[in-house]
Amino acid sequence: MIHCNVLDVKKEKINISKAQKFIASKKCGASLFFMGTVRNENNDKKVTGITYDSHDGMVKKSFQEIYEEAKKKFKFETITIFVEHAKGYVALGEVSILIAIACKHRKEVYEVSRFFIEEIKKRTPIWKKEHYEGKETEWLKGNPVVNQ
Amino acid sequence: MKITVELYGASRDFSSKSFIEINLVNNSKIKDLRKELIKFIDNHHAGNENFRELVKAAAFCSDKNEIIHDDYVISKEQKIAIIPPIGGG
Repeated sequence: MIHCNVLDVKKEKINISKAQKFIASKKCGASLFFMGTVRNENNDKKVTGITYDSHDGMVKKSFQEIYEEAKKKFKFETITIFVEHAKGYVALGEVSILIAIACKHRKEVYEVSRFFIEEIKKRTPIWKKEHYEGKETEWLKGNPVVNQ
Repeated sequence: MKITVELYGASRDFSSKSFIEINLVNNSKIKDLRKELIKFIDNHHAGNENFRELVKAAAFCSDKNEIIHDDYVISKEQKIAIIPPIGGG
């Protein structure tokens, strides 16, 4: 079971209690919450915030695909995932992504959580524009999506 | 035919709008669209090298949310998204 979404931060913030409710199950003995937050430094520049841009349709599709791949790869009895990514301006210290996982055992949630975030980094169409002290901004260079 | 190229990530700096319109001859391919976008950069951004590199490295996505390769034939007027190198999370 998966819930995935892209949230426009002007309208809604990522909410951990929503994730907690979604993944709650008596079948699962382990839950893990991963949150990505905006940190204050990157490449020796003082970061004040990040604007996230997203191709929402492809992002949701990619979350679904990663979930299906996780089920095939790990073959765990139960994998429940709640994943939401922010879109728009996210200030220093605020949450940009939340991945909540519930499985039967603790080893499983660690493996699935790591797999999920690493795959998102590789293939989910989300872009970051960093804002620095002094009002300078920069789109971060990313990894090309395979197009051949 | 007119193709609406939706802009994402760093390609948003190509225009003040969220898209640009490119005219292509019927049955053009994605590689033709890429060439036209580079011409657009040359004409509107004085050949900005970063923008040119971005177009070369980008993938493209159909209105069905599928990545389409360079030999994909664009058979009708449609929206196509440019997908610059990615790096979210």
